[in-house]
Amino acid sequence: MSSDRQESDSAIHEDDAGTVTRGLEERLVDSVKNHDGVSRRAVLGGLAIAGGSAIAGTGATRSDDDTGDSNDETMGFGAPGTYTEEQFDPHGFLREFNTGDSTNERPSRFGENDYNLNAGVYEENGQTVREFNFVAVPVEQEILPGITFPMWTFNGQVPGPTIRVEEGDLVRVNFTNGFPDMAHTIHPHLRNLNPRMDGIPQNGPGLIDSGESFTYEWQAQPVGTHLYHCHMLPLKAHVHRGMYGSMIVDPKPENVRENPRQYIDYHGPITDEVREMAAERARSRNMISHADYSPEGFDGIDEMVMVMNGFDTNFDGDNEVYGVNTRGFCYAPARTDAYNGEWEAGETKHPIEIDGNERQRVHLLNTIEFDFVNSFHCHSQFFDYYDAGTTLFPNRKTIDTVLMCQAQRGILEFDYSNHEPGLYMFHAHQSEFAELGWMSFFEVN
Amino acid sequence: MTTDPKSDGGVAQSPNQPFGLPRWVIGIVPILLLGLVIGGFVATTPLAGVDGGEPLPDVSIDYTTLPNDDTIRLHVTNNAPEPVTISQVHVDEANWQFEMTGAGGDRTLEPLESATIEIPYSWMEGYDYGVTVVADNGATFGTTIVAANSSPGLTGQVVWTLAVIGVLIGIVPIALGIMWFPFMQTMSEKWLNAVLAFSAGVLGYLVFDGGFEAFETAQSVPSGYSGPLLVVLGISGAWLLLQAVTDWLTDDEEESRLSLAYSAALGIGLHNLAEGLAIGAAFATGRTSLGMFLIIGFMIHNVTEGPVIVAPLADGNRPSLAHFVAFGLLAGSPAILGGWIGVSTRSPLLNTLFLAIGVGALLQVVFDIGDIVRRSGSIRAAPNVMGFAIGLLFMYATGLFTL
Repeated sequence: MSSDRQESDSAIHEDDAGTVTRGLEERLVDSVKNHDGVSRRAVLGGLAIAGGSAIAGTGATRSDDDTGDSNDETMGFGAPGTYTEEQFDPHGFLREFNTGDSTNERPSRFGENDYNLNAGVYEENGQTVREFNFVAVPVEQEILPGITFPMWTFNGQVPGPTIRVEEGDLVRVNFTNGFPDMAHTIHPHLRNLNPRMDGIPQNGPGLIDSGESFTYEWQAQPVGTHLYHCHMLPLKAHVHRGMYGSMIVDPKPENVRENPRQYIDYHGPITDEVREMAAERARSRNMISHADYSPEGFDGIDEMVMVMNGFDTNFDGDNEVYGVNTRGFCYAPARTDAYNGEWEAGETKHPIEIDGNERQRVHLLNTIEFDFVNSFHCHSQFFDYYDAGTTLFPNRKTIDTVLMCQAQRGILEFDYSNHEPGLYMFHAHQSEFAELGWMSFFEVN
Repeated sequence: MTTDPKSDGGVAQSPNQPFGLPRWVIGIVPILLLGLVIGGFVATTPLAGVDGGEPLPDVSIDYTTLPNDDTIRLHVTNNAPEPVTISQVHVDEANWQFEMTGAGGDRTLEPLESATIEIPYSWMEGYDYGVTVVADNGATFGTTIVAANSSPGLTGQVVWTLAVIGVLIGIVPIALGIMWFPFMQTMSEKWLNAVLAFSAGVLGYLVFDGGFEAFETAQSVPSGYSGPLLVVLGISGAWLLLQAVTDWLTDDEEESRLSLAYSAALGIGLHNLAEGLAIGAAFATGRTSLGMFLIIGFMIHNVTEGPVIVAPLADGNRPSLAHFVAFGLLAGSPAILGGWIGVSTRSPLLNTLFLAIGVGALLQVVFDIGDIVRRSGSIRAAPNVMGFAIGLLFMYATGLFTL
């Protein structure tokens, strides 16, 4: 439309003036005829002026025409409806970190299955032990409005609970297999010194059968954002069906200050400045598992866990639903009017609200099955990336898209302090994944 | 034949009082017992130990239409014995908004219920689109819209165009064919029989042509309706019904030949209805390029249908001209009607039924012609066998032009 107008504005001859005026008149009447506030007479009156300026070739006709494209149609893209099943709240999961602290009450979502995930934090042989209770149970979970998927879960949720510990801790997981007819394990992505604790069929307790229990004990190392998952065969099925979760190992600032090279991907001289910078980064990473490091609260950091996953609902080896934290479009507006740029948040489908003044730290994990890679891309934004979260200085600075293989994970850090309030999209930059659910928004306030 | 009760060596029974009970009581006993067995089966559920799992959902996308360039319309049917809820729709592997109408205001299809799903999607002409409906349990049912093209619907222009095509391929060739009647009247009985055999060959070809077509379209009938069996029912039902009606209506030779001509006209009419349906369906999918070649092919192909109708009458007195007009209209005009039906409802079910009924009607005529030939000669006489074979061959040859 605008190119039409430019043409008519620039190539005007005296003879054409009448034609131009009539064209403008038609277009303007067209554009406002359904607009209650404007009478036809007012429009025609205005046209005399608009037509005059068109003849003069001033191009001032641009002004009143903007209502032309207004219509109330919703662009058809996206999953209609909102979520109904309330047994898993992806917004709650996003910022839920379990440190083992049993005084930290966790809302019970799964009835008897959700017994005391956080079983206690205590000292044993001079080492801090963080104890958790895990139970494997099958549940149905809603993955798109109206579509449920039969999940195999840790503690009745997909992704499984995020556990958060400090480096050097002993992680004790009392695992009970609550399935009626299927064996499972828990395999941690940690530097695990005892093969019996690797959680695979061939080692230690092997498969934990229906109704059986086993206590896994893992050394919390190295620092980073890690993954745990079931290693029962067929592996594809057990991972795809939901038996995975994240395990975050936070760095101790004093360890970092003592031995900074172990924590930073940096080959220059270790000056006091570098040492302190690394220790400060460690403190900033470790304010949740160790509250002492943030005496004044969380110090302007907003941490989130996003597990990229997908579901093959018809079991043909190709995913029908993609998302983060299990639900497609779950952090997207419930309704968008693409033509007017208007949107509405719903009760169960709404963007992630963030404080523009806080720094955002996203623990991102890829547990996709049936696709080789997944990715994260955010709009109008660049982030620093820490691969596997094992270093305290970014491996890649100022990127807006990161590619991840299966089981790859990392930490993303960015802030929206200079951005205007509003919606900022983020999604997989595999367009197919985005259009099948892996598309969400930050709502910056 | 005797009606005396006969003894089988046991106790003699009165045929009116078996076991000393009224006949109707004995007649109803098996039904009562069946009710008892079914009631007992339901009440005791003896198969509870056999856990076969739930029946799988089965939704078919019967056909798709593109009413305008912002809309894709899917026509879906639930073929499974359990209700199924359509929760999401994909277009080319992307979730899309949709409205579902015809399923009672919700998105749940009862068994054998059909509904229309309207997707606001700006498609582009000539592209292929994969469309998939996703049930609440994640099962998917999809189809591909090949080379997207606007489906015009029943507009005035389309009505007119289809009417013209119908006249050209239905009424015109049949009217021309009927004009052979005076010539046929001058033929000897032997050669007239050969012409009748030729007609039977033509119709026999149409029986197979329509029959295969019916079984082919039956593949797209929602599986809950058992398309192929529907074809069998349609063919045998139409055949037997027409046979019964013609036998009941006519007793003298003259009238019987006239009714045979009408049967032939009706059978050919139903066949042309199916031809019209196919053309209308081509319009509805946007495949509107029915070239001159195709129309001329249809005209040559159908010109044989005229003499086929009037051949049975050539042996006797000429009926009034009104009958001839009626033959032409009955046999030819359904092509127009078929076109209109085909473009407005693209139902594979209707299409299959029309085809099957047409085949049944033609089959009846083939057998009646056989009777006529047999009355005045032998079916196996050389001119008759040759006539039949040439009828088949002629239709095959001209059919090549209408591919």
